[in-house]
Amino acid sequence: MKERALTIVSIIAALALFVGAPQIVNAYWLGVALQLLSGIALTQSWVAFSGLTGYVSLGHAVFYGAGAYVMALLWQSAALWEILVASGFTAAALALLIGYPALRVRGPYFVILTLGLSELCKYVVIAIEAALESSGRLLFDTPDPVFLYYIMLLLAVLATLLTWGLARSRWGAGLRAIREDETAASTVGVPVTFLKIMAFVLSAFIPGVVGAVWVLRTTFFEPMQLFSPTTSFTIVTMAVIGGSDGAPGPIFGAAFIVILSELLWARAPQFYLVLLGILLISFVLFIPRGIYGQLTALAQRRRA
Amino acid sequence: MSFRNFALKAVLAAAALSVALPSYAADPVKIGVGIAKTGPFAPAAIPTLNAYQMWADDLNAKGGMDVAGTKRPIQLVVYDDQSDFTKEAAIYEKLITDDKVDLLLSPYATPFHFAIVGVLERYKFPMVGSTAASVQLRTIKPGNIWFPTSAIPDKMGPELVSLMKKQGVKTVSISTLQSPFAQEMEKYVKAALTDSGIKLLSSQQYAMDVKDMTSIVSAIKKEQPDAVLSLSFPADSILFMKAAREQGLTAPFQFVLVGPTADFFGKIFGKNLDGVMTMGHWSPYQTKWPKGMPFFEAYSKKFNQAPDYLDVALAYMSCEITEAAVAKVGLDKEKLRKEISSTTFDTIDGPVKFTGVENSTTPTMFLQIQDGKPQIVWPPKEETAPFQKKGPWVN
Repeated sequence: MKERALTIVSIIAALALFVGAPQIVNAYWLGVALQLLSGIALTQSWVAFSGLTGYVSLGHAVFYGAGAYVMALLWQSAALWEILVASGFTAAALALLIGYPALRVRGPYFVILTLGLSELCKYVVIAIEAALESSGRLLFDTPDPVFLYYIMLLLAVLATLLTWGLARSRWGAGLRAIREDETAASTVGVPVTFLKIMAFVLSAFIPGVVGAVWVLRTTFFEPMQLFSPTTSFTIVTMAVIGGSDGAPGPIFGAAFIVILSELLWARAPQFYLVLLGILLISFVLFIPRGIYGQLTALAQRRRA
Repeated sequence: MSFRNFALKAVLAAAALSVALPSYAADPVKIGVGIAKTGPFAPAAIPTLNAYQMWADDLNAKGGMDVAGTKRPIQLVVYDDQSDFTKEAAIYEKLITDDKVDLLLSPYATPFHFAIVGVLERYKFPMVGSTAASVQLRTIKPGNIWFPTSAIPDKMGPELVSLMKKQGVKTVSISTLQSPFAQEMEKYVKAALTDSGIKLLSSQQYAMDVKDMTSIVSAIKKEQPDAVLSLSFPADSILFMKAAREQGLTAPFQFVLVGPTADFFGKIFGKNLDGVMTMGHWSPYQTKWPKGMPFFEAYSKKFNQAPDYLDVALAYMSCEITEAAVAKVGLDKEKLRKEISSTTFDTIDGPVKFTGVENSTTPTMFLQIQDGKPQIVWPPKEETAPFQKKGPWVN
């Protein structure tokens, strides 16, 4: 009971901190906070599907890139909210299209297939842009960063609620059953294909909107970089480091990576990537449950 | 000597030293840069960062930067953007709001310039750009960024076609990398070819991750065109030239868009680079621009390699323009904006004046490597050497 109260108080405190941040920090640190929130939103969405089902998707960069592309195409020709919603639905539709064939394979085949499909989508967009004789798209008169920050905060909260709700639901139990043993789950009547595809589609919506917000921040769209597979790798890294079996993990993972990158990128950019590699390997080998999983395990052990 | 005595002497010596160094007592002028020190753009970006560094070192050696009459030392604040332009807005925001720099120099390449247009606008921070060229730059509101290049595709296309006509070219084959700048160039070259009397034999595009251009070059070779245009970036320019060398592509007019101006091209291709045409509007051999050769010699000596005739020249020009403007009006943003927008600057590339965001004095030019030296062969009034037909490749 006491623990539960503590959790609620800390959630409220964290939320208040995020809501008040634009009044407290300068523009630069607000930019860092924006990165943190986008990290949380992306990783939560990924965990909602990959963390629960065990299907490791390396294709989330596509949803992010597709959202950014929709924003770049429609900016200033429709209301911001309309474009944001369109970005989310485009990403979700793409997930349905990709998910239907891709979710027929498992394990390493699924990982490679999502990576391959995301590269395919990237080159399709490059070809479309070439055919349209577009040479990158500049976005003018984009909204104030504080405004973008609040949209991103909303997305991070929604993504956290999605993972939290999903993890506790009957649907989430079904997804976990798929992760543990898909054949067994199917045998006992879990509608595996339906659950998987729906979770995949749901987990694509928010990255689409995040990409759309991010391109407003970058003010320039160029497919090679906004569809870069690095986005997918970063999401997976955050999930592995934070823990991927529920909503708290991604928050820890995103915070860890964003803070680490903040401490190191300006001073030792080469070292940062090396350290990230070492950390990732160490977590996979020694702390597979991630920071949050390890903390809960430690707490439980102490109680026992 | 007692301790008290020693302490007294030390204090006196320190006081004397502080009097003896009046010029460095001034606060440094902080100049911010975000640029690719790592990642795929780094090999091309680092030479431009070297130009910034050389400029800063030279000024510091002369007692500092002239800020409206007062000399102040320069301190460069440099961050690595890791060749990722989506990081650039945050970096320049940090430079402006966190490091509180007095001036900015530009990042490397067009997308990185475009990525900070919004930040410059938001903080009303003027910055002279360098290695960016695109017809899109004209859509940017003037006032916070200026582009010293004259290599803009919609001007280069017609000029290149005029040059080909003058050299008696009747047929041309084009290959284009699927990258914004190369595609813009293709578009404007093709438009200029219509009604020019030059026949376009073939035009093909290839993807960014191209690993080999043998088949593209052999298809072009079969067509036996008078002119071959490889609208490529450094990595695929190398692939194109290697394939052309292996197959002995004989067209007398061979144009390679980006790459031949870089020092490492000379190291890879040696004599084979002679006769290759490329874009660029600076040559140290232009006697009309007396600052050019001293800069070329100083850079070559300091870094043990020739400056890139396009990128490094542009980067250095952006320093010269910033320096001249600050000497006249100081660091006030509004005054700097007015000064940069209205004055004609004397640079290693001759006089530069901006109209809107664009350099409106430097004409579009083309370079040809002759005996390892970059010569301006077009337009005739800027010529430093006459055009030469590309000789046979040697293996």
